[in-house]
Amino acid sequence: MSVVTSATPGVEAGAAHDRRGSWLPTGAMITTRIMELRKRRGLMAALAVVNIGIPTIFLTIRLIAHAVAPKSYGPAGGYEIFSALVAGVLFVFGFIVAATVGCTAGSIDLSEGMFRHLVITGRSRLALYFARIPAGLAIVVPMVAVGFTIVCAVCVFAAPTKLYYQGIEVPAGLSQTGFENWASQHPLDVVCGFPYREPIGVPCGIRPDGKIVTPPGTNIHTIPLSTLKADAVKIARGLYSDYSSRFLSPSTSLMVKSGLWIELEAIIGFIVGLGLASLMGQRTVPVIMMIVLEIILTPLFARAAIPHLINFQRGLVGLATAHLEPSGLPQVFGGGGPGGGSQLVPESTTVAVLVIAAWLVGWTALGAWRMATRDA
Amino acid sequence: MGATALSAVTGSRIDEEWAVETHALTKRFGENVAVNGVDLRVPRGCAFGYLGPNGAGKTTLIRVLLGLTHADAGTMSMLGHEVPRHRDRALARVGAIVDEPRFHGHLTGRQNLEILAAAREHAARGRIAASLERVGMSQRSDDRVSKYSMGMRQRLGVAACLLGDPQLLILDEPMNGLDPAGMHEMRDMIKSLVDEGRTVMLSSHLLDEVERTCDAVAIVDRGKVIRQGPIADLLAGSDVEVNVVCSAPQRAQAVLASAMRGTRIDTDGDSLTVHLPTGTGRDVIAEINRQLVHDGIDVYHLQQIQVSLESWFLSVTSRLGESA
Repeated sequence: MSVVTSATPGVEAGAAHDRRGSWLPTGAMITTRIMELRKRRGLMAALAVVNIGIPTIFLTIRLIAHAVAPKSYGPAGGYEIFSALVAGVLFVFGFIVAATVGCTAGSIDLSEGMFRHLVITGRSRLALYFARIPAGLAIVVPMVAVGFTIVCAVCVFAAPTKLYYQGIEVPAGLSQTGFENWASQHPLDVVCGFPYREPIGVPCGIRPDGKIVTPPGTNIHTIPLSTLKADAVKIARGLYSDYSSRFLSPSTSLMVKSGLWIELEAIIGFIVGLGLASLMGQRTVPVIMMIVLEIILTPLFARAAIPHLINFQRGLVGLATAHLEPSGLPQVFGGGGPGGGSQLVPESTTVAVLVIAAWLVGWTALGAWRMATRDA
Repeated sequence: MGATALSAVTGSRIDEEWAVETHALTKRFGENVAVNGVDLRVPRGCAFGYLGPNGAGKTTLIRVLLGLTHADAGTMSMLGHEVPRHRDRALARVGAIVDEPRFHGHLTGRQNLEILAAAREHAARGRIAASLERVGMSQRSDDRVSKYSMGMRQRLGVAACLLGDPQLLILDEPMNGLDPAGMHEMRDMIKSLVDEGRTVMLSSHLLDEVERTCDAVAIVDRGKVIRQGPIADLLAGSDVEVNVVCSAPQRAQAVLASAMRGTRIDTDGDSLTVHLPTGTGRDVIAEINRQLVHDGIDVYHLQQIQVSLESWFLSVTSRLGESA
């Protein structure tokens, strides 16, 4: 039988050589933390279903429906689907997935009794905490990336071949001059089909309230064609900014920016979840708190700027992240949006970045402090 | 290890001779003083038992030593390193089980050890297989811990202790959950670890096991160490008991009480027990026999009883006072 022994049991030099007191984790510590998280099959399966399964199932159904009945069901992909999935699904679900992994990583050693074993090794408690950050991100970032890649692939390769702007087929990718020229060639489509706010003397159009107004007895053909074309060009000029943000498929630039943006949101979710769970010493309540923050509190405070709470609203990390949303995506939580659209809670990019940094550093410091001072 | 060694060191000076040394160590939980000014010295290279009734503060002292919780006052050192100041250096060569050993249930025993080895020095990973084999867990090392029995988790805990090639092992109730065969193996393992030059400090309420396993003990009661030293020395200082089986126990009790005034004599059926003070010689026992025969009492059996650690333990802890 082989035994654990040495000529001189416990050579003293051990700790000095392995920098056991350093706050920096070793590669082996990070690797084994990844293994510990990855082996949680139930958690991994649930996260994969939420982050990858839901968009995949949604797109698969659209692909099948379009293949079976193309006239009834439009193409599965395209810019519109991409932007809706990124801003409406991946952004929120990526955060929740990451927060769940973070809360698990931050509390499970304690609840399963391993924290004590780890402390007894003499390894710095800070190193034990910091090992969880790259380990958790090694799980979260690829998982979010896989879901996002599937969305990108379908939206690019199954994109529509025609652009329908306000329900009217319009050539894609026109310059402003080209868009105005097209409008002058299709004045009735523009005047009667496109939205516009200023009255232009044509009794046909979609008012700001969305209703089509066609006064009784009005005969549109009585208006001179030149007037009609001029009005169409005027409308097109006003809508070009909106039109120019519509594409058949998402651009490479938009995909890259969107990918980085939802990864940022996921990283925030993980770091905050890790710190919160470490602080509280449990998983369930922090997970619930993170979900409430993401899908209830943040949207609630994004709906209106409350003068007395404006700085609190600015301090919400979800709103700060929304301010960094790439243009070309629909608004999330009332921030960013196509063309830098309306922002109910005004906040500069610098402030948004500082708020995000403060959340990351603050929760990391709190989690690490609690881990370093907690009774094991 | 001798009694002189135990009394050689006083004060808070760190001495390389001791595997564990504490001075006036105190830990409070609110009004409750769990560890009350403990002066403990555990010699190197021996099996040391840390005994005390439930709630005496045994586990708390171990937790303080290992840095699992903070001391409120006092100083301590392990393997010559002052802790918590040089905690990392001290714990680099310490293996410990505190309370019930718990692990990640979704991982195998081997994977749990990989996590713990990663937190130690690089060489620790290479000791995983040998550690598992030493505790007899090689065959089950690739099963999930959630399927392990309590005894198997205890063994895995010992394997985790061995990853650091420890000079000092601190085992809190290591016999818990083990069947008789497992306890026998654990006892042998502790002895073999000591034979290799390691120090094993164990807390236990199984006094018989401690007596069979340990060279020295410390008795703790209500947070204080009330006795410590080699078992043989401690027991040598206890009272002598003589068991007598004779034809007329009641009359024998009266005869001896008359002849040996002030001596406590208990009767039980056809036997009686004579309690003699520490240091009583064999001639006194012979005198008991002569006195009984002289008075016409037939003596069938006469034996000096070896005082067990258990009876000695009960005599010096508060439990005896409570039950009396």
